[in-house]
Amino acid sequence: MRHVIKMVALGLILAFALLLAVVAGDYAPWYFAWLVGTTMIVLIAASGAVLFETQDAARDRRRDNL
Amino acid sequence: MINPTVVELSRLQFALTALYHFLFVPLTLGLSFILAAMETVYVITGKPIYKDMTQFWGKLFGINFAIGVATGLTMEFEFGTNWSMYSHFVGDVFGTPLAIEGLMAFFMESTFVGLMFFGWDRLSKPAHLAVTYLVALGSNLSALWILVANGFMQDPVGATFDPNTMRMQFTDLGALVFSQDAQAKFVHTSIAGFVTGALFVMGISAYYLLRRQHRDFAARSFRMAALFGVIASLAVVTLGDALGRMDYLVQRTKLAAIEGIWHTTTPPAAPWTIFALPDQSARKNIAAIEIPYVLTPLVTHSWNTAIPGIDSLEREAKPKIVNGIQAATALKAYAGTKNPAALAEFRKYQSDLGYGLLAQRYAPDQDLAKITKADLPGVVDRTAQATIPNVFVEFWSFRIMVAFGFAFIAVFAFGAYYSLKNELEEHPWMLKAAMWSIPLPVLVCEYGWIVAENGRQPWSVYGWLPTFVSASTHGVGYMVFSLVGFALLYSLFIAAELYLMFKYARLGPGFREAPAAAQAGAGPGLGRPGYANKSWE
Repeated sequence: MRHVIKMVALGLILAFALLLAVVAGDYAPWYFAWLVGTTMIVLIAASGAVLFETQDAARDRRRDNL
Repeated sequence: MINPTVVELSRLQFALTALYHFLFVPLTLGLSFILAAMETVYVITGKPIYKDMTQFWGKLFGINFAIGVATGLTMEFEFGTNWSMYSHFVGDVFGTPLAIEGLMAFFMESTFVGLMFFGWDRLSKPAHLAVTYLVALGSNLSALWILVANGFMQDPVGATFDPNTMRMQFTDLGALVFSQDAQAKFVHTSIAGFVTGALFVMGISAYYLLRRQHRDFAARSFRMAALFGVIASLAVVTLGDALGRMDYLVQRTKLAAIEGIWHTTTPPAAPWTIFALPDQSARKNIAAIEIPYVLTPLVTHSWNTAIPGIDSLEREAKPKIVNGIQAATALKAYAGTKNPAALAEFRKYQSDLGYGLLAQRYAPDQDLAKITKADLPGVVDRTAQATIPNVFVEFWSFRIMVAFGFAFIAVFAFGAYYSLKNELEEHPWMLKAAMWSIPLPVLVCEYGWIVAENGRQPWSVYGWLPTFVSASTHGVGYMVFSLVGFALLYSLFIAAELYLMFKYARLGPGFREAPAAAQAGAGPGLGRPGYANKSWE
């Protein structure tokens, strides 16, 4: 049952996102660009930090092997 | 009679308070989303250092937010005290987004800021992350509503003038909110805030790295800010181009002033003037250096469209001024008598009413009824010249903004490159460049605001309401007193901000510090950054 509720919730979010994309694409292209662009900027910054941790861990492993 | 000195003092006061306020706004807009990104990594990885980062940068965000709100409060009152004619004329339209902004700022944003600061031990990780995102969204939505209101001043849509109420009546909220000008202005301003926030974090992190302090913390902060900034700085230039295109479409006097175009350009493509000393009285550019074939495709998106120069824009304004004088005279007659003939006369010329109000300044005794046939050409000429903003200010504010905008791309690109290669400390020049660049985006945002608002002159609502007739009828003494008061009070706010920022930035994060031995490189562990191996082992 939890899975069904989860799927329905994600489906609703998807439907909302599609509706937003269609409406915003027609009436507010720059607002839509801001939403997509800001999400992308935040995710790229976050992925940079995750990459930092991966590089750090790899370096620690190399140091341990020496 | 309208006292021009009072109008100029009112303008100066509003410019001063707006520029002071805008010293704080961009950092709030950008830093809030950087905090959200940091906390996202904390929630995903569970590493406490990202919580420390969110809390430390959040503290600096809090200082800036508190003082920024304080400086913004007075501006909303200023519309009523110093710009009463403006408030009467467009209050129905302008008041709506301003009221929504007030609700956003005071309810949504402030509530979630409180939860963000005091909710670390009271909320679950995902709930706190949601709160941080809502702070970021709320801050930017506040800016959105201000810029929707400002978009109306630049490109008045969604309202019509009603001769019975003698003011603009709201007709279409959708047109106001989705106005192309408001949209382009919002995205450009918000992303300029992202650049400011990113350079702030990057610069202070660079300071720690140069001093070999808080290196775990600083290297991670630098990485996130550099990547955040490199995308934002690319976006802000692109979105600025979109805003320039809007000026070409709806505010040609502003575009002509920005580019110093005195005479209509001749196709094919016109050159872009990279350097010049525009002389408004001689109506020419002195010592101009031009890059051929750049301006036309840049603003018209074609190769062979002529861009109207200041001379032809003034010529185009002249018939509008003559019509506007008739509209304003008919409106005055209608207001007194409700005579249908006067209303019919007004309706005929109502789209040019603003130009008639603008001519009032140059009419004998500021009375349009006193313009004789002999006076008319002189009044029309002077009014037409007044439709052009200050070209020198516009030209150079724009170029300073653009030059630094491109410079920021380089700073972020080098920062991101060396951070990704973990070679930051091998390039102290990069760290110093980042550190000394901290105040520059704030200044550039100020120049952007000057381009937008100086370029709107002589209108408070473009084409409808001249700035000259928008002010209240205060005395000069009152204006000077309040101006000096504001300058002193706001300078105190700035001093407080700088003192607190320097104090807490110098103190550093102060949480979970690595022991001194590890900081000096005596052995592995404690999450020491990988790049450290190359520079201090």
